[in-house]
Amino acid sequence: MNGDFLALLPKNPFASLGGTSSSAPSAGGNIFGGASGPASRLPPELNIHATTVFAFHCREGVIIAGDHRATAGNIIFSDTTEKILELDSHSLMAIAGVPATAFEMARTLQTTFEFYRRSQLQSMSLQAKIRALSRLLRENLPATIQGFGIVAPIFAGIETSDPEAKPVIYFYDPLGAQFEAANYAGSGSGSGSIKSVLSFLEKWGSPPPGEMSLAEGVTLATRLLLTASEFDTATGGVHPDRKLYATIKLVSRDGIRTMSQEEQEKSWKKAVAA
Amino acid sequence: MTEEPYRWLEAISNRREYIRDQLKGGTPVFAVSRPEGILLFGIGQGSSKVFEIYDRHAFAALGHPVDIEKVRQSAIEAAHLEGFNRSPRDVTLRRLIGFALSPSLKNSFEQIFSPPLMVEAIFAELGETPETDILVRVHFDGNHHYESSGVLVAYNDPKREKEAQEWLQQNLPKPTANSKAQTPSLGEVANICMAAWRALADEKPFSEAKVSSADLPSQLNGKVVEAALLDRKATSHVHYRSLSLAQLKT
Repeated sequence: MNGDFLALLPKNPFASLGGTSSSAPSAGGNIFGGASGPASRLPPELNIHATTVFAFHCREGVIIAGDHRATAGNIIFSDTTEKILELDSHSLMAIAGVPATAFEMARTLQTTFEFYRRSQLQSMSLQAKIRALSRLLRENLPATIQGFGIVAPIFAGIETSDPEAKPVIYFYDPLGAQFEAANYAGSGSGSGSIKSVLSFLEKWGSPPPGEMSLAEGVTLATRLLLTASEFDTATGGVHPDRKLYATIKLVSRDGIRTMSQEEQEKSWKKAVAA
Repeated sequence: MTEEPYRWLEAISNRREYIRDQLKGGTPVFAVSRPEGILLFGIGQGSSKVFEIYDRHAFAALGHPVDIEKVRQSAIEAAHLEGFNRSPRDVTLRRLIGFALSPSLKNSFEQIFSPPLMVEAIFAELGETPETDILVRVHFDGNHHYESSGVLVAYNDPKREKEAQEWLQQNLPKPTANSKAQTPSLGEVANICMAAWRALADEKPFSEAKVSSADLPSQLNGKVVEAALLDRKATSHVHYRSLSLAQLKT
């Protein structure tokens, strides 16, 4: 009765995904994002970098965004993949890495947070949520080392019990170490160019992303994904001409707000006209 | 002693009597299916009586607080494991009660050398419409029944419970999706439940029960009014929300 949902599950919830065995992973399956290590046993055509997810602070909270592409080798596996996953009413994770493991981690965390809230009659603290993701990454260590189960997520959330608390961004290495991002974080193959742009804007932007309004932040997120897709074939980007936009969410004290395709289109048209 | 069958029957009968006696101090809880969702209502003293179980499920009970907690935890664990292993849509009261809770309650009741679980409970499952809502009355011995009238009461006296339920059914006809008649607001429904609560607590006949037009008090003789709604219009997967008095009134 300690609110620990993982205690109700088999010791390693990812064992069924091949996470703890030394056997080779099953063939097939696609990858997005994350790095594949030198020890990867995946066929070379699956051994790729892909995905772009990122988060940055704006005036209203934290904006977190991602493209929709999943690739397998040089094949576009899906262009409708959801990579920004809500964990509860005030936290979410952006996933980059092996989707089978990443989706399962998100699902485990969703149940863990809700189970704790309902059984203990209080929300889990933000620090505990951050550690819970770290713990799952750590439990996934064998698959990470073998190179077929790497996940490098970003976490964004806010401490609901503290009325003064501001939303935070954390990024993780695939072994489970957590790092708080002062201004922004990115993960996936397209994140390099995005982090460069965000670093530039933090120093010389007018206004810097942290002082942007939500509308300006949404426009920036759209432009960043367009930029990333210029340099990274595995990033789906956005296609305003086809009315295909990214997933963009805002984390604030009021909870999580998803920017609809219509809102993104409106914001984009306004930016283009300006 | 229990090797003789009639001794066992006697022990069970004594146990039933003992539990009913222990439950006498408990106050009733109510569940009412409305167009807005399912309203759960109770008046607690120090400990809560109305709880969230899962995305579309809630629980209200009277009894020993420790036993209420045991049943609550069991229900939450069973629901979350089922939701995780299959999907949230697979978490249903029919399975939760039929295969997890009821057998455990019956087993606990019949283990005459261990302490019994002293709980009388209501479980609610939110459907798409009031017609598909599910209300289940679960007794301390594992016995349970499904209520189709949209109104359910749990109390320590079966006769008075039945009277309260009939009175509520008259005052709160079950709404339907196509119902054109004006339905009472949640605040009015809570007021009607409060009138039933008063009649039960004061041991008065329901012919004398009157619905007060005055606002619900936040406290009643030191007890706290507690209400929650399984909100049919909630956009997130979590439909349960506690209702403050101010929210009930609006």
